[in-house]
Amino acid sequence: MSLATEFTKGLWKEIPPFRLVLGLCPTLAVTTAAKNGIGMGLATTFVLVCSNILVSLLRKFIPSKVRIASYIVIIASFVVIVELAMQAYFYSLYQILGIFIPLIVVNCIVLGRAEAFASKNSVVYSVADGLGMGLGFTASLTVLGSIRELLGAGNLFGAHVLWSSFEPFTFMVKAPGAFVCLGFLLGFMNIIGTKK
Amino acid sequence: MRDIIRMVIVLTIICGASGLTLSTVKQVTEEPREYSYLKFVKEPSIKAVLSGYDNDPVMDRVTLTVGKDDKGQPIQKQFFPAKSGGKVTTIAFDSSAIGYGGPISVMVGVNIDGSLAAVSIMSHSETPGLGARSTEPWFTAQFKGLSLGAVGLSSKGGKVDAISGASITSAAVVKAVRDAMELFPKVKDEVTKS
Repeated sequence: MSLATEFTKGLWKEIPPFRLVLGLCPTLAVTTAAKNGIGMGLATTFVLVCSNILVSLLRKFIPSKVRIASYIVIIASFVVIVELAMQAYFYSLYQILGIFIPLIVVNCIVLGRAEAFASKNSVVYSVADGLGMGLGFTASLTVLGSIRELLGAGNLFGAHVLWSSFEPFTFMVKAPGAFVCLGFLLGFMNIIGTKK
Repeated sequence: MRDIIRMVIVLTIICGASGLTLSTVKQVTEEPREYSYLKFVKEPSIKAVLSGYDNDPVMDRVTLTVGKDDKGQPIQKQFFPAKSGGKVTTIAFDSSAIGYGGPISVMVGVNIDGSLAAVSIMSHSETPGLGARSTEPWFTAQFKGLSLGAVGLSSKGGKVDAISGASITSAAVVKAVRDAMELFPKVKDEVTKS
């Protein structure tokens, strides 16, 4: 087990929404634009890394019978910190992400990594794992958000990039567009995966 | 038994530490959170009633206690001064009155001489097509420059034409504006000096 493999597995081999197919609720809901994807991804990464650190530090101290309750308290605390910080410094992003920030608490990726990885490994490995998974999640949301923003509004990161006569498919920024787009990406990832 | 005691202790410590951290973070972010809330939620209506200023009215806001509510609790109100060259020219603050469908809240800008700078309807639940027309510019523009005596419906000797079919809404907006103008002399000195 090397530090590099723990970090990179989250970026490709076990990239959360595409390979593990976890955390789909925010993946589908907030990816109407690339910027929202990055914001959501980074917020989740912060929570993931911090909760991994704490869970790993406390892994010998927390009795196994109450571990899930303890993890949830730890995760929820970091989520509230993120929410307060966003209200204070990134209010416009907070207005868009809204309810999905508190919902990071129930994001399976965060609890999943705490339970499956951080509770069994040392702090350094847990940080690598959390960072890798978090950045993988951020990258996935950004790609999904970029595709939907490009096709749905002709924009990328808020700037108009397509030719002016381009007629945006409003469908793509609506919920069904999210499913279709995610489906194509999952299929695409599987094609690449099976070729090897 | 020992197991149970250990679980209780561990959970207590974790929850206690979490509570302590969160209350600290909440206190630390109190000020910037309030600022962003006002900046994003209220600033659009503040901007609508102020003009020709060179400061940040949200940053320079003054919070004063104005009277008491029905339960005897003090009412806190925020005032947003527009300054030009360091001198307060206009003060914006909100006011509300009960209309036909519920409370109508109005942002009122009052010039330092007591006349009205502008009025903007922030939120209402009036009937679409009737009372909801109070947000239209022709209605709110009538208030511009009026002094306290002239703020009244034209049917009652004032200078504001009511919206046809929505006299309750029109009267409520007039009342909200009048309340604000009556409050103004009481708070003017405190807002301008800070």
